[in-house]
Amino acid sequence: MTTPSSRTGVSGFDQFFTGKAGEGGRVRTGIVELDEMLRGGFMKGDAVMVAGSAGCGKTTLALQYLVNGVKLGEAGLYVTFEEMPDQIYRDAKNLGWDLRKLEEESKFRIVCTSPNLLLESEGESLLDESFRDIQPKRIVVDSLSHLAMFVKESELRREAYRLIMHLKTKGISSLMIWESPQMAGGSFSVTDVGLSFLVDCIVALKPVEIESSMRKALVILKMRGSDHDKSLREFEITPTGIKIESAFMNYEGVITGSPRRVASEKFMDLFRGAAEKRK
Amino acid sequence: MSAAQMLETLLASEITGDLLVLFHRNPGLIDTLDAVARRIGRTGNAIEEDIRGLVNLGILKTRRVGRSEVLLLDRERDREVLDAIAKHLRNLEGVEKIDHTKF
Repeated sequence: MTTPSSRTGVSGFDQFFTGKAGEGGRVRTGIVELDEMLRGGFMKGDAVMVAGSAGCGKTTLALQYLVNGVKLGEAGLYVTFEEMPDQIYRDAKNLGWDLRKLEEESKFRIVCTSPNLLLESEGESLLDESFRDIQPKRIVVDSLSHLAMFVKESELRREAYRLIMHLKTKGISSLMIWESPQMAGGSFSVTDVGLSFLVDCIVALKPVEIESSMRKALVILKMRGSDHDKSLREFEITPTGIKIESAFMNYEGVITGSPRRVASEKFMDLFRGAAEKRK
Repeated sequence: MSAAQMLETLLASEITGDLLVLFHRNPGLIDTLDAVARRIGRTGNAIEEDIRGLVNLGILKTRRVGRSEVLLLDRERDREVLDAIAKHLRNLEGVEKIDHTKF
């Protein structure tokens, strides 16, 4: 049976005729510890926001999610507004991911464009050709904050909603990057334009100063329809991608970026110090 | 159009060269004339003619997205053009080699 899928690759019709409409399931990120935190992965078809300040590893996490998706047989599309694809190819190669090769194999594609073009609502959408060519199951939009620069604040929520719903209708799991400069300070809010309500899951990345060195924390702030790990976990960007470590133990206020050792730990330090002196 | 003419178009100006490098390094670039111009530090007016040359060659194609016209690399045609030019250059090299042996 011919469905409108021939025009746009994946569509609501595809999902309907294949019986996959409304089907549950998980989308594994391929980062073992993160999948554990997510109780198996993101929910299929969900819109996920990865928020954090510059240099936190948002792009690395997003690329790792797509590359691991390819390994699991799911093609991925990366939409970038600012960073040029050649930089992305280069940075990914340093992490051991040959994106050009994946593109040649039609398993991956980078689209570099202007935000206003992505929001065009008349006629064929900018991404339809890519949807047809590689039939992606995962998409990354880098970034929603860049999109916000091209839309009036009052319209941003509506436009972001339209974009998210467009992708959901096609059965594509989306990961939206949000740069939150305020997260580097003492206060903590993901977006100040109400986008947090539109997405189904929020993963926040945050730099944390501990004993005069900058470390990185990851926390799942929200996940609709699923339990998830609530702890703040330390992570590192290794030569092969993101590696999530254990939770920050014995510290409080990690989310503010300037954590303090918990009182009991301070007491233990004093006790240890006194014991040392006595020796 | 012959491979020699294609090569001539590609070597026509510095801007054409910049555009070729831009689209080859970033094959997923889809943008308006003005935005493409900004990405190589020029203005829309400055690159218009060179864009037309590349569109006529078929290396770039245009598409309508809503109210905007966008430019993108025609990956298939681009490969064909480059293959034709490479073949042409190999032939020239062959001719040169023969000439060298003569003298």
